[in-house]
Amino acid sequence: MTAVLDRRAKPLARPAPDRRVRRQNRLAWIARHSIAIALTVMFVTPVAYLVLLSLMTSDQALTSDYWPNSWHPENYWRVFEVTPLPHYLLNTVFYAVSSTTLVLLSSVPAAYALAKLKFRGRNALFLTVICVMMLPPQVVTVPLYLMWARYGLTGSLAPLIIPALFGDAFCIFLLRQFLLTIPSEYLDAARVDGCGEWRTLLRVVLPMARPGIAAAGLFQFFYCWNDYYGPLLYTSENEGAWTLTLGLASFHSVHHVDWNLVTAATVLAMAPLIIIFFFAQRAFVQGITLTGFKG
Amino acid sequence: MTAKPLGVRVRQNATTLSFLAPALIGIAVFFLYPLVSAVYFSFTKFDLLSVPKWVGLDNYKRMADDPFLLQSVRNTLWMVVVFVPVRIVAAIGLSMLLTQLKRGAGFFRTIFYLPALVPPVAATIAFVYLLKPGTGPVNHFLEKIGIDGPLWFNSPAWAKPSLVLLGLWAIGDLMIIFLAGVLGVPESLYEAAELDGANAWHRFWSITVPTIRPVILFAAVTGVIYTLQYFDQAAVAGSIASGQATVGGGIASNFGYPEGSTFTYPLWLYTVGFGYHALGYANALAMALFVVALGITVILLRRAKAFSGEES
Amino acid sequence: MNKRMPHALFALVTAGLLVTACTPATKENKIADPGTAVSGTVELWHFFTEREADAIDSVVKDFQAGHPNIKVTVKSGQDDSKVTQAIGAGNGPDIGLSYSTDIVGKFCASGAWVDLTQYINRDKVDLNQLNATTRSYTEYDGKRCAMPFLADAYGMFYNKDLFAKAGIDGPPKTLDELAEDAKKLTVRNPDGSLKTVGFLPLYDFYENSASHLAPTVGAKWLTDDGKSAVGTDPAWKTLITWQKSLVDWYGYDKLTKFRAGLGDEFSADNAFQKGQVAINIDAEFRLAFLKDQATNLKYGVAPIPTADPARYGGGYVTGNIVGISKNAKNPEAAWELIKYLTTDDAAVIKLSGLLKNIPTTTKAIADPTLNSDADFKTFIDIFTNPNSSTSPPSSSGPAYQDTFAKFLTDFQAGKVKDIDAGLAQADKQINSVMTLGG
Repeated sequence: MTAVLDRRAKPLARPAPDRRVRRQNRLAWIARHSIAIALTVMFVTPVAYLVLLSLMTSDQALTSDYWPNSWHPENYWRVFEVTPLPHYLLNTVFYAVSSTTLVLLSSVPAAYALAKLKFRGRNALFLTVICVMMLPPQVVTVPLYLMWARYGLTGSLAPLIIPALFGDAFCIFLLRQFLLTIPSEYLDAARVDGCGEWRTLLRVVLPMARPGIAAAGLFQFFYCWNDYYGPLLYTSENEGAWTLTLGLASFHSVHHVDWNLVTAATVLAMAPLIIIFFFAQRAFVQGITLTGFKG
Repeated sequence: MTAKPLGVRVRQNATTLSFLAPALIGIAVFFLYPLVSAVYFSFTKFDLLSVPKWVGLDNYKRMADDPFLLQSVRNTLWMVVVFVPVRIVAAIGLSMLLTQLKRGAGFFRTIFYLPALVPPVAATIAFVYLLKPGTGPVNHFLEKIGIDGPLWFNSPAWAKPSLVLLGLWAIGDLMIIFLAGVLGVPESLYEAAELDGANAWHRFWSITVPTIRPVILFAAVTGVIYTLQYFDQAAVAGSIASGQATVGGGIASNFGYPEGSTFTYPLWLYTVGFGYHALGYANALAMALFVVALGITVILLRRAKAFSGEES
Repeated sequence: MNKRMPHALFALVTAGLLVTACTPATKENKIADPGTAVSGTVELWHFFTEREADAIDSVVKDFQAGHPNIKVTVKSGQDDSKVTQAIGAGNGPDIGLSYSTDIVGKFCASGAWVDLTQYINRDKVDLNQLNATTRSYTEYDGKRCAMPFLADAYGMFYNKDLFAKAGIDGPPKTLDELAEDAKKLTVRNPDGSLKTVGFLPLYDFYENSASHLAPTVGAKWLTDDGKSAVGTDPAWKTLITWQKSLVDWYGYDKLTKFRAGLGDEFSADNAFQKGQVAINIDAEFRLAFLKDQATNLKYGVAPIPTADPARYGGGYVTGNIVGISKNAKNPEAAWELIKYLTTDDAAVIKLSGLLKNIPTTTKAIADPTLNSDADFKTFIDIFTNPNSSTSPPSSSGPAYQDTFAKFLTDFQAGKVKDIDAGLAQADKQINSVMTLGG
């Protein structure tokens, strides 16, 4: 939907630009695109390197031979042989989808309250939400792990999904900032019309907050998908609950790692995310400009 | 404002509570509970395997003479001071660039975001190998154009800047947030400014930046908190650069390679807690980190409020 | 509304929950009478994966064949922190198998792994079939809470081709010879940078650590009352002065630049395997890599050089360890399995053959098949040599080693001007960090 972004470039009713301006514009265009292409090369190169690693033999991986001496696309197939990848994929999807959905359901209202509702202690609560992010995970995990162990929930994904019912500090903070940018006039209009706060949120604010919610949702989804330490802590003793990230550990032995298989598995794990992102970002940008705040 | 009747106030409070309830429970269980344990354990000697033993302020007193602590604080502070602003500036720059690329916008957006999707360990490995002195392609290329490349992750002076480079490469997630902010600036404001004769640079500073202030604040606060807890990439980069990508049991024992330059505060915390089984001291270290993070955040929040007259 | 009361109550309740959550129930360890039949299920956690995990499985199968009433569940890929957390949470496997000896001190001191002495005495297990070094790293403070499960012995690998080219007859036996040979074997590029290095003395390179080098001078880490000895044992000063002079001969910057371009220790680009380093300290597991990845390399194996010729023949020894957790549901069956894995000669020989590590029992050590490989035999000899040493267990794990390593990193970089003052300060810091344990 490039038409949507074109909107920004179209000038208003103006006299046609003269030749000098046109040349300046063209130079600027070239400059911008050259930078973009240079950046593309820099962003893609490390990823390309990982792909090259995944097509090598195990012996050649992580040596100074960067170009595969022999091509082994069957590494991707071997990954499926060594690990039950579809099963891990299922667990990962389950974890990511449920966590994201629950986090959004519980965080959006909280963010709305912090951004748009007035109540005593709002600032203190806001600061507390940020504080949640400040405790180093190494220290938070010990008491939480003990707690989950008492309820017999270790060895499953439950300790990772249940907290999603209760909001996530990062998402709440992010959503609050986005919601702040929605002018209060819209909300006041709705309230005057007799809408209660929940209705205001659902009918008026949510459609306008779609980009922010999409961003928060994407973040949470990708975070869960790539989460290694969470599943490592809570599911490593039960292979049935492993996610894709833990599956990567299957290629490690004490003095040897099959880096070609590790990178092949990494590429396989990343592929869905890239596809999801590519489609999501179009809708995302569309959402922003469509809901645009035409002043 | 006139005082509201009691009925209205009760209903308003109930409504507010209904919005906040899940988050409040979350805060209580997943924050306050670990926080209270952390505070408690920081006054004890605790190895997870036996009953915690009360030692009062011993853990905190220890921090004064701890050579590893000193080094890790220096490294982490360096990262905060450099990493956070650099990433914010780059993310804003990139998102502005993206708004100006019409053809292939979707393609570029995906490409720029791509690195953020690579798991940090794999990304670090790729970076360290590409920047490897002597055998890596980057230094080969630099040699061809006559530059004697630095030792990157193997040089005490260049190791942290190399980590910053890694962070800049993976800037996609921050960039997306700024993109959303930048795209949300009302078109009309730009049009009005253009009619007034403002050029692009001026428009950027007087319209874009003020409007995205809440996003900048978010990036600054989360950036500081995240950088204070910077662990994975530093640990992995040190292991791999020292030639021990594959060591049974995880992180190589010579953390902080080279010469302790990548030894961050969380790395020390982790070693103390899980390598030496001294969870009491580890919790004390965590509390210190928490206090610092809190302090910086409060300062940032205060400044932002004074700055932009944000709703308080 | 008085908000303070509920908060205080909340804090109290939480603290109470915490204490009860973390207070492990002290189990009265009553062991069965000798000769009682053992049955039940046993859970074993170990850190191996892939092919090595298969090796464990096959030996466990042998055990179950001989003990039909005992069923064993095995979980692979579980490292020390997993085992610690599980035991701390009141769960945990019956048996834990650890990669290193770091946890022995803490697990013995805290009782996380039970004292096996009663079982040993009851079943009349002869501990003398295990060599003294392995016994020393499986006990702490008078408690024997672990048994050694295969061992690693570190020696010296040298490149025979490069030696021939430099006109050196045999491997160096003393530190002075090592330095001499290293210098002879070193080749520089026209611009002065290093091309081939005889011996790369940097401490954080591959397996060069203070622990692994300590046997060259017979240095002691701890005094008899458990305090740091690095400042008082003259052997350490000898070692680090020797190392520094070699580093200075190369040039620290040139060495670090050379080292930066070397391959990963466990990749096919290993610097010794590629002939970039002529002499390297490494353990018996390097043999398998050489056979796989460097078939053209003519290498030799020898004990590490020593300062004093009288103590030649040894090297550094360490190993995997295994113990019974205090939360074990079936300690008797667990003991049977441990006894099998660590003292049954056939099992030990089989494990050694599969995992390519050093066997630990006297009979297994003498096994002709294992000794048929001359290089492997060299390592077995290093293992049994009385001059070999290990790093003593400590209740703060590797803290003392890490702290000294920090001093050494600064020292080799030339940041320490006064060596005696530096060593004395290292003593102080080590003693301080060790109080984290205990």
